[in-house]
Amino acid sequence: MTVRFLLISILVSVSILLPQSLRAQVRYTLSGVVRAAGGGGGTLPGATVAVPALGLGTTTADDGSYSLPLPAGRHKVVASFLGYQSQTREVNLTRDQRLPFQLTEAGNELGEVVIEGSGTLEQKLQTTQMSVERLSAREAKLLPALFGEVDILKTLQLKPGVQNGGEGTSGLFVRGGSADQNLVLLDDALVYNPSHLFGLFSVFNSDAVQSVDLYKGGFPAQYGGRLSSVVDVKLRPGNPEKFTTSGGIGLISSRLTLEGPIQKGKGAFLVSGRRTYFDVFTRQINRLNQDDPDYNPIPDYYFYDFNAKANYKLGSKDEVFLTGYLGNDVFGFNSQNGFNFDFNWGNTVASLRWNHVFNSRLFLNTSASLTKYRYQISNKLDQFGFNLSSDIRDLTLRSDLDYTPNDRHALRFGATATHHRFGTGRLQADSQDGSVNFGSDITYFGTEAGLYASDTYKPTDKLQVEYGLRLSGFRSGSDTYGGVEPRAAVRYSLTPNLSLKGSYALMYQYVHLVTNTGASLPTDIWYPSRQSVLPQRSQQVAGGVSWLLGDGRYLLTNEVYYKWAQRQIDFKDGAQLFVNPDLDAEFLFGKGWAYGDEVYLEKKQGRTTGWIGYTLAWTKRQFPAQRGTNGINNGNPFYPTYDRRHNLTVVLLHQVNQRINLTGSFVFTSGAATTLPLARFAFQDTPGSNSGVVPIYPERNTYRLAPYNRLDLGLVYKLKPIRRSGESDLTFSVYNAYNRRNPYFVYFDQVKDKATNTVTNYRARQVSLFPVIPSVTYNFKF
Amino acid sequence: MRITWIWRILVTMTPTPGGWAAVAGGVVAGLLSSCGLQKDIDVELPAYPAQLVIEAYLENGRLPRVAVSESVPYLAEPQAQVPTDVTVVLTRPNGTRDTLRYAPGVNMNTDKAYTHSGRARLTARPGDVFQLEAYDTRGRRVTGSATMPALVPIDSIRWQFNNEPVERRQAYLTVKFQDPAGTTDYYRFQVHKRSIAHDSEVEYTLEDRLNNGQAITLGTSYEFKANDTLFVTLYHLDRPYYQFLQSVQDARNANGNPFAQPSAVRSTVTGGVGIFTVLSYQRQRVILK
Repeated sequence: MTVRFLLISILVSVSILLPQSLRAQVRYTLSGVVRAAGGGGGTLPGATVAVPALGLGTTTADDGSYSLPLPAGRHKVVASFLGYQSQTREVNLTRDQRLPFQLTEAGNELGEVVIEGSGTLEQKLQTTQMSVERLSAREAKLLPALFGEVDILKTLQLKPGVQNGGEGTSGLFVRGGSADQNLVLLDDALVYNPSHLFGLFSVFNSDAVQSVDLYKGGFPAQYGGRLSSVVDVKLRPGNPEKFTTSGGIGLISSRLTLEGPIQKGKGAFLVSGRRTYFDVFTRQINRLNQDDPDYNPIPDYYFYDFNAKANYKLGSKDEVFLTGYLGNDVFGFNSQNGFNFDFNWGNTVASLRWNHVFNSRLFLNTSASLTKYRYQISNKLDQFGFNLSSDIRDLTLRSDLDYTPNDRHALRFGATATHHRFGTGRLQADSQDGSVNFGSDITYFGTEAGLYASDTYKPTDKLQVEYGLRLSGFRSGSDTYGGVEPRAAVRYSLTPNLSLKGSYALMYQYVHLVTNTGASLPTDIWYPSRQSVLPQRSQQVAGGVSWLLGDGRYLLTNEVYYKWAQRQIDFKDGAQLFVNPDLDAEFLFGKGWAYGDEVYLEKKQGRTTGWIGYTLAWTKRQFPAQRGTNGINNGNPFYPTYDRRHNLTVVLLHQVNQRINLTGSFVFTSGAATTLPLARFAFQDTPGSNSGVVPIYPERNTYRLAPYNRLDLGLVYKLKPIRRSGESDLTFSVYNAYNRRNPYFVYFDQVKDKATNTVTNYRARQVSLFPVIPSVTYNFKF
Repeated sequence: MRITWIWRILVTMTPTPGGWAAVAGGVVAGLLSSCGLQKDIDVELPAYPAQLVIEAYLENGRLPRVAVSESVPYLAEPQAQVPTDVTVVLTRPNGTRDTLRYAPGVNMNTDKAYTHSGRARLTARPGDVFQLEAYDTRGRRVTGSATMPALVPIDSIRWQFNNEPVERRQAYLTVKFQDPAGTTDYYRFQVHKRSIAHDSEVEYTLEDRLNNGQAITLGTSYEFKANDTLFVTLYHLDRPYYQFLQSVQDARNANGNPFAQPSAVRSTVTGGVGIFTVLSYQRQRVILK
């Protein structure tokens, strides 16, 4: 450990000492906070503050603050943020100085085309950070959505390098990684299961979300714990100026958001809720049929979620932020003969962050957070009762220090510690007469820690390097694991409009999702590294070029990547994954690798904006013979289901006039890999048992479904675009506009002679999930 | 299927992700079939060499009978492929080797077919080990070994009617037995109505890892009427047979369920596919009064 700390010390010392000799000019630090003006809300994390003439810029921290070292003299400083109008202010820098910005929304929230300052594209060109995608909720709201339910995670699937897990699902499969290898953060607190309804909808209510950053590679050192991506979701701060109510009424759910100042100039709050109403209709149908003895009632199902955020200034240098999330899916079934079945699952997230500004060069963020995911199944039949539950609960403390010693360096240090509780299986069965009475409680504990330091170093105007080191560790019972995770990224500007970039990152993952279904089921459980289950590990190298075209209106990027991972996890055929005290014996271990090329052209200015993305990619996994099995696919490499060779997305947004926006998105992907049985045999079974056919699956994922393509169209029509009393719009969406029957899965079926009920043939059937689905949503704000 | 799967969760405590996947898959498949979102497609499957398939359930006091067939490409014609050149040899616990005669037939009582049959009734006691060998003229050879599990007797069978009006009144049924301590045991529970020649009304398998050595109560949901004649069967399985049954179920579930992971069948024989086992079960008849 001493050696590791020594490394950190050297890193930090070198970082601080180096620039002293490089100073050639008097420089001062410009700092401040970027906020939304008027109805827009509070601080704007991730906004760009830049001096285009010098090619210098930075982005605001989580609290909206920035710190930008500049040479003395007059400068035009541009602040910009997705969905807001850029603002340019002139400053004469003769000392360290503060310069706050208040950005005005690019039209009202309900539907103008997002205008993004050119500084953002320039910043994407200039930054060392590559392989990152940023989306605002505003952008997602304009695009057409399935059932009209705006889902920012699904919008991320339109970015290159990101695959979905199946038609309509919100899971992200990033550069060959699986969905459980994404670090999903909500205001810095982890979210374990970010989906409702088997993954069809994400848990993020677009009314409460401000933006999401997706890191596909080149991970900054402050992130750790997952292999493949970081999905960093930020909730929107409340309106600090006035009380506002907004919401929407859609096909399957409604939303309501309240926000306003806590104390003028001191803080603001936001509370947002959403609920579906399938159950309202199904209950009516059940009620109408309650006298029919042959009627099988439709189970109740709904989900809801609440988001809350508050910020409050304690003084000129201190501000606290409180974030909360509570979401649940509720499934209930009461049969007419007395059988009750309840199934609930959901996340609870809470975080409290304290931001302290020591001076214009030094910021501290300290947070404490709680996150919990749990499901519970309760059955009751007459005198018999049964309860099964599982949960994972984390308590996390985190501290991050941002220090900008001079204009050449921006340092970031931090430490994090998480206490995990894994309730992998709690079960209780009993009866009133005592004939059934047994249970089980399998709980593990673990402590995960991380310590990191990084430096963004700019030795010349053309060259910028971001390098860092993360030390991670995990302890569960008597098992202790550790990892050294170097991170590096570099940018070299060939010309003012052309940059070359490269990155490397090594990641460890100490907690593992236990599932062998390939789908996001609520019964998924998380398991710690312990005994034979070692931490997963991956490395990724990426290289790319960014080219600013058309006077800064277009940015063309091309990135190639190669990722390789060890100790990947899968499960034995027929693995018993529930309430199993010997769960680690069910795991299989292997390796994975992925590589590809991502081309991305985006336009953020003008009446017509959008992007075109194309990905050429390969993903493979291999699990050799082990633990008394032949491994998976007889130990040979195979493609996971989310492997797609080609992926093309085209997204266009066009502002027709002040009232109407048209949007469209087109997706084409190669067919998904899937497994089909190659053979069958007749199985009679014992006397009195069903006879039938049993499929034989000798290989994994060797069949490809037909290619997938889909066009979605959207129209936002503002009903009240200008009035002071409020705003409202109608958002129309058409999902799968040309009604293509895209393959969801293929299965084999018997063809029977109806007269004799004998099997005459076998056939392959392709199943599609969604036909053309039009929807309309009414949104309002006052 | 009714809601037996829910009782399975209630009593056997063996809910699996595959089980939930089956539920989710069932919902999806039901919705899709009603929406007309399915169509026939042409699929070209790679060649897969035919394997010998063995089904052999030995029972004490009965003639040994074995069904030998072949696997076929999934989309092949439905006619069963029965090889005629297979020799089947059964080795008894005392080392006696019996070559079963090839005499295809159907047991009219059970409606189950066989291809090979022994000449003398078997004597099988718990712990006895039998060997099976089947080979053909093409060089295919399948072998297997099976040990007879101990009998686990049924202690009691009870039923309880609900309070519905007489015409809608139904009963659930519970079966109690003592699980042997110190060993991991596996069971198959079946309830037939009227006759065992038909499919069972209720069936599931379970293991005792959560209630080892305890009295175990299994049951059904409300699904029987007054005066129903029921045959309640409790099989005591060895681990290979239990795993075979589970894998067969998993493989079947995977066809047509987008959420299920395809699963290989875990045969108890090597060199081919299938099951060779010695049955150990108790069956009782009850009339619900």
